[in-house]
Amino acid sequence: MWWRSASFILDRQQHQNRTVAPSPESFLLSSPPPMADSPLNPKSNISAYYQTRAAHHAVVTSDWLAQAQAAVGRHSDDDGSLGDDKGAAPIGGGGGGGGEEEGSGKAFSVIDEFNSWRKQPALAEAVAAIRALAAVIRTSEATTMMELEIELKKASDSLKSWDTTSISLTAGCDLFMLYVTRTSALEYEDFNSAKSRLIERAEKFGEISCKARRIIAMLSQDFIFDGCTILVHGFSRVVLEVLKTAAENKKHFRVLCTEGRPDRTGLRFSNELAKLDVPVKLLIDSAVAYTMDEVDVVHFGADGVVESGGIINMMGTFQIALVAHSMNKPVYVAAESYKFARHYPLDQKDMSPARRPIDFGVPIPSKVEVETSARDYTPPQYLTLLFTDLGVLTPSVISDELIQLYL
Amino acid sequence: MPDTQALVNDFLNKLKKRKIEGSQATAKQTAELLRSVISQTRMPYTNQAAALIHSVKAVGERLIAANPVELAVGNVVRRVLHIIREEDLSLTTAAMAGLNLSAESDDEDDTDRDNHPALSAAAIAAASRSTLRPPSLQTLLEDVPDSAAVPHTSSSGGDSEGKSKSADKSSRSRKLKHDVIEAVNELIQDISTCHELIAEQAVEHIHQKEVILTLGSSRTVLEFLCAAKEKKRSFRVFVAEGAPRYQGHLLAKELVTRGLQTTLITDSAVFAMISRVNMVIVGAHAVMANGGVIAPVGLNMVALAAQKHAVPFVVLAGSHKLCPLYPHHPEVLLNELRSPSELLDFGEFSDCLDFGSGIGAPLLHVVNPTFDYVPPKLVSLFITDTGGHNPSYMYRLIADYYSADDLVLERRTASGN
Repeated sequence: MWWRSASFILDRQQHQNRTVAPSPESFLLSSPPPMADSPLNPKSNISAYYQTRAAHHAVVTSDWLAQAQAAVGRHSDDDGSLGDDKGAAPIGGGGGGGGEEEGSGKAFSVIDEFNSWRKQPALAEAVAAIRALAAVIRTSEATTMMELEIELKKASDSLKSWDTTSISLTAGCDLFMLYVTRTSALEYEDFNSAKSRLIERAEKFGEISCKARRIIAMLSQDFIFDGCTILVHGFSRVVLEVLKTAAENKKHFRVLCTEGRPDRTGLRFSNELAKLDVPVKLLIDSAVAYTMDEVDVVHFGADGVVESGGIINMMGTFQIALVAHSMNKPVYVAAESYKFARHYPLDQKDMSPARRPIDFGVPIPSKVEVETSARDYTPPQYLTLLFTDLGVLTPSVISDELIQLYL
Repeated sequence: MPDTQALVNDFLNKLKKRKIEGSQATAKQTAELLRSVISQTRMPYTNQAAALIHSVKAVGERLIAANPVELAVGNVVRRVLHIIREEDLSLTTAAMAGLNLSAESDDEDDTDRDNHPALSAAAIAAASRSTLRPPSLQTLLEDVPDSAAVPHTSSSGGDSEGKSKSADKSSRSRKLKHDVIEAVNELIQDISTCHELIAEQAVEHIHQKEVILTLGSSRTVLEFLCAAKEKKRSFRVFVAEGAPRYQGHLLAKELVTRGLQTTLITDSAVFAMISRVNMVIVGAHAVMANGGVIAPVGLNMVALAAQKHAVPFVVLAGSHKLCPLYPHHPEVLLNELRSPSELLDFGEFSDCLDFGSGIGAPLLHVVNPTFDYVPPKLVSLFITDTGGHNPSYMYRLIADYYSADDLVLERRTASGN
């Protein structure tokens, strides 16, 4: 009835799924009960990835946090009591409890391991995934490479299906699996030494995360000149590192920070910047075009970098990139290389939907739909340069890099 | 050594005083200077490549600092460094293959050394390949040893083999220098003949009864157009004069002597005439890694006019003009201001310009920038001596010609590298 892109069929199905669940009103204000019903994929509607980001970076109240921490330790049959929490956002920890059930009776669950790594705010998703897979190797009882590979593949698939919306999780798992299948063929005849080498590399990968951020920060220093005004959106740890390094090098710049509804990431980001004594100005999301002529450069992080060279990032990124492009402002993206993924979205709806419940502060009547998608896709023609730990790249280089890896 | 020092100082002086005009001449002289530096470098027994790299870098830093706007200097220095690394790599893999054979033939040698060359050869080759290519997703999880480790292992392997190997080693060190100098000669040859290679492609791009627009004077463009003329293409050329040096006048004269129908216009008339033009062909001072062009002043305007009227904007550039750096503030950092006397006659305007007469600073400022930055989205095609390319393809050429380790040549005082 309304004109939509061809993917409206997918939208309709999603919508039907949601009407089976409780009405949107309770959906928004409490944690969804269906979590207990579908142990395999408790998060068909909610994206765990964005939950975690909110947990890490949004402004949270202390009692919300206490409840979240308590929920992590509880078993899944306590899920019903989670509905009492006053916080607006459902808790990601409940999903971890659901994941426990799905384990095929093994004492060790890769999902648990992943969750425990994921809780650390400084660690990227892909790194947490790789560390979890390393733990799988450590506890595995396989005696040949082939067996180990099969186990890893199973673990990696279960991680990926647990949260289908997280690009960097998928990319990290794929990268590690590729590495495993490649090195198993080389050099080492002794299984144990190969196994220990895999574990050692996986552990070292965690360091790469921090090193990557430092490399990216160094590369982008030239592009921040004295007296420039930078616009940022979303809470990206990489962009924070970039700005931190620039502040340490005594560069004079100021930052315009969007509010980042509904996660309120802008508030947290501006807090961090204020600690660095960088002049910050907060804008509501709608004020971006209004202030765009004062802006010199726009800086984003990325949740994932896709094959076309575009990025997937928090909702609002595409909008800002469009405005910047129309006013001829350069748009720079800072992303680590393990976020490169083999997707090629053709429009906004081409990815698996990642939803995040939005709290408007007032109850919404049930007849009113809410667009709850948490992320959007920015096509490569609106991006100027990408700063990665592989160097400074133009968007057209990304597909080349991916081909080299997956060939 | 004192001989090269004198040469280096002489060249530095010329660069500082801007006595060398044109990137081709600069590139050629830089390459010749580096060739003499290499031939004079004393080579130690181990780690020859590192010694060469060190001496070339030392000279290269000074050359770049003398004229940072002349990017061809930095390009040639980085090309030579890449050549050294490549030659070293090919020699190492050849030596490893040789060691392999000799180890197998010696039955009395230790058996563990039998295994090591096989293992380390593959590992070293893989490692060296990855150090030469820019870092990629593949190397993210693999252990990448430093480039210094590569010659070390090869030389230590050689030392442990005995006297026969040491004779091999000294011949190998001579071979490295020899190979590098040969490759640098090839580079010089390429730089000198880049015009011919580019001009060969002219006939594919210029067709009958076309109208070409150019601005100022570029030798590459001149040869390009003449090559097309020789292949019996009939076309007309609009030449914008290129104020304030008016080199377009010289180009127009040249074209007429070669028998081409030429029209001379002012720079301001470009927008008016662009709708009658089929193609814009220009030269460049330097091409940056993102596909942006540092071109003589006025070309940004021509590029915008061409985009507005959907006229293809073709840039001719030899491969020595390809710079691996990304421009972050090219209008200021990669530009040079020339003398105001090119614009204004000192005699007439001395009262406005002079600091001496009148009160305080002069009220009349004259700005005479040399270069313009043309962003990559305005360029339709790059024609280099390797063929025609998209601006977004530049990164591939960079990966072929330069190594990632050489991108930053300036000495960092605090953090040693």
